[in-house]
Amino acid sequence: MKEILAYPANYWQTMYEIWLFISVVIYLVVFLPAAYFLIKYRYRKGVNEKAQEVKESKALEVLWTIIPTIVVIYLATHSFAFYRIQRNAPENALEIKVTAFMWGWEFEYPNGKKVYSFFNSVVNPETNVYLKPEEVNDMFKAYIPEDTPIKVLCTSRDVIHSFYVHPAKVTEDCVPGRITHLWFQINQQGDYWVFCREYCGTQHSKMAAVLKVVPKGEFEKWLNQGVQSNNPSDKQNL
Amino acid sequence: MAAVGYRPYFSAGLKEWIFTTDHKKIGIMYGVTSLIFFLIAGLSALAVRMELYQPGLQYMSEDTYNQALTVHGVIMQFWWAVGIWSSFGNYLLPLMIGARDVAFPRLNALSYWFFFAASVLAIITLLPGNHIKMMWTGYPPFSLNDNAGPVAFYTLIIHLLGASSLASAINLVVTNLTMRAPGITLKKMNLFLHSFLAMNVIQILGVPALAGAVTMLLMDKYFQTAFFDPTRGGDPLLYQNLFWFYSHPVVYVMILPAFGLISEMIATFSRREIFGKTSMIFAIWGIAILGFMVWIHHMFTSGVPDWIRILFSYTTVLIGVPTGIKIFNWIFTLYKGSIRFTAPMLYTLSAIFMFLIGGLTGIPLGLPAFDIAVHDSHFVVAHFHYVLGMALTLAAFGGFHYWYPKFTGRMYSELWAKIALVLIMIGSNLFYFLQFIVGLEGMPRRYADYPAIDSWIRLHELQTYGAMILGFGILVAVANLILSTKLGKKADGNPWQSPSLEWLVPSPPPPHNFDKIPHMPEDWDPYNYEWLEKQHKKQ
Repeated sequence: MKEILAYPANYWQTMYEIWLFISVVIYLVVFLPAAYFLIKYRYRKGVNEKAQEVKESKALEVLWTIIPTIVVIYLATHSFAFYRIQRNAPENALEIKVTAFMWGWEFEYPNGKKVYSFFNSVVNPETNVYLKPEEVNDMFKAYIPEDTPIKVLCTSRDVIHSFYVHPAKVTEDCVPGRITHLWFQINQQGDYWVFCREYCGTQHSKMAAVLKVVPKGEFEKWLNQGVQSNNPSDKQNL
Repeated sequence: MAAVGYRPYFSAGLKEWIFTTDHKKIGIMYGVTSLIFFLIAGLSALAVRMELYQPGLQYMSEDTYNQALTVHGVIMQFWWAVGIWSSFGNYLLPLMIGARDVAFPRLNALSYWFFFAASVLAIITLLPGNHIKMMWTGYPPFSLNDNAGPVAFYTLIIHLLGASSLASAINLVVTNLTMRAPGITLKKMNLFLHSFLAMNVIQILGVPALAGAVTMLLMDKYFQTAFFDPTRGGDPLLYQNLFWFYSHPVVYVMILPAFGLISEMIATFSRREIFGKTSMIFAIWGIAILGFMVWIHHMFTSGVPDWIRILFSYTTVLIGVPTGIKIFNWIFTLYKGSIRFTAPMLYTLSAIFMFLIGGLTGIPLGLPAFDIAVHDSHFVVAHFHYVLGMALTLAAFGGFHYWYPKFTGRMYSELWAKIALVLIMIGSNLFYFLQFIVGLEGMPRRYADYPAIDSWIRLHELQTYGAMILGFGILVAVANLILSTKLGKKADGNPWQSPSLEWLVPSPPPPHNFDKIPHMPEDWDPYNYEWLEKQHKKQ
């Protein structure tokens, strides 16, 4: 299943395609008759000066009440089925605790290893412009094993943030005093963005982090390397 | 019914304007205030758009950006999308029901002056040192943080606007229900009146929830209570629930009157009564009632239990049904009509198709499986700019043109109105359609800066061009409306030949509207265009 970049983005993609198809059909169902009526029944001197009598049609009214009802209930039910998968992490998922703060992220791995990413660690310190994800210092990257489902338990230290995994197309708010969850799996090595999706003040737009997806073996090695200089007491020095 | 020889109501002195209780003058004051704030909010949006033109911060700091976006959101919501309907409602509602004024004229003046006071406070927040930077939603705990700016201003603004809305809503509901001239039954009422009735009922039910929420916010910030502060046992999601319990229905406060205006204009320019008028009325009330049962879709990713999300996804998508009914009925009103493509008709048709795109993109936002990827992204922003931004604004501008002869006694320039519409449609679709795409690609909302992803840069560039064209189009439309008060041709009392009651009085109407309260005959109906022709023949 290498061709799918990330789970559960594939479910979103299917939902998107179903919706897009239905929307285009509905748009045409409204637009085509409207265009026809607008041309055919335009005011013309001597030809179409007066509107003609039209009988109310109960059948039509019922038709355009019932069909949309069926369509939207179908969509909601399809979404229900997908959402169960998108929300509930597979049993073997690796659990990572994420704590958001103004403005950065703390990732805590099962063995206690922590990684911090700050708003100023994703930008060029001189120009304050975003770096490319691969240009960010590895020290600030959260390593993620390839082909492995990850369950994120999210909370916040101060205000509400939102953890959005760009390739996996999932987002969930990180609310102080609560623990929320989401899961994802990335199947290709590389560097991927995480963004904050809930407005949180001055540096909201720089509150990003980079996920570095590596082969499982490399991840194990990295995980057991222990914490280097990236720890909370160094936060002030950055 | 015609009254001759009165000075038009608007040629009054300043003192008379300030102390007036005349619903028409108050309507005009609402309209002018609303439009001025619309232009302020529009300019702040253009500033935001300029900043997003390229990644990096070129023109302003993050704080300035956040403030500009907050100003844009708050003002567009409360001064334009809600405020402008106070203008149409006050001016037209008594005329349409054959009343000389609203039920409580002094209360009506008070409503406006509350609105005015809120406007003054809003201007004060634009001064340095008073900047509010918490977006129009003002979610705690962020709004309890000093980074958010002076929350007290926000709270007082909401309270003043809330008092204004409540007083105005009660006033217009009472007027509508008790002061209709003989012969105007509930069934014969204009759809404009039905939608304003539903809209005002939503205001009465919803405003207290928002007032409560912001009061608790104020107490949390300044009086050490802990409703929303999790470190002291509060719950930040309580605020979101209270806030959206009002602020979702309020989108129907904004859009239902727009539907009312669209119905009036579609009927008049097709020379036909609205197809399925009864189902239109049921649809209005269906939207109003369902509107109170869907607010959780604003919180689909906020940590509420999953089963609640699923429940509210069903109620949310069901709103598509009554709105669909309205769109189908409008389209079938065109069937076998005699359609005149005047400027207001073109604005109305544009509004319907913009609403259709906005509505179709609203459905997936009610599906958690879709929303999970685009919540708080630019996709959402594009969606509500199609419905509230464009459909509403086009309907309101259509209304300005449609009732222009009624308001001012003169005609606007048809050519410039159409040029403005072309610019607005090109600009807005270029802008908002690409905003959908950048949203689908993941661009988060409320970002002053964004990483240099190639497709995002290109999309943002084009959006900024679109926004400039849109802004220019609005400017042309507003200039046309302002200049035509002096340059426009003198208008006939009933230039569109509509039997709706507001057109049966002279333009502009005399200060007391009707010399004699009209008795509407059995065969009269606001959409019975034959009736009007018969009346002409009789004379």
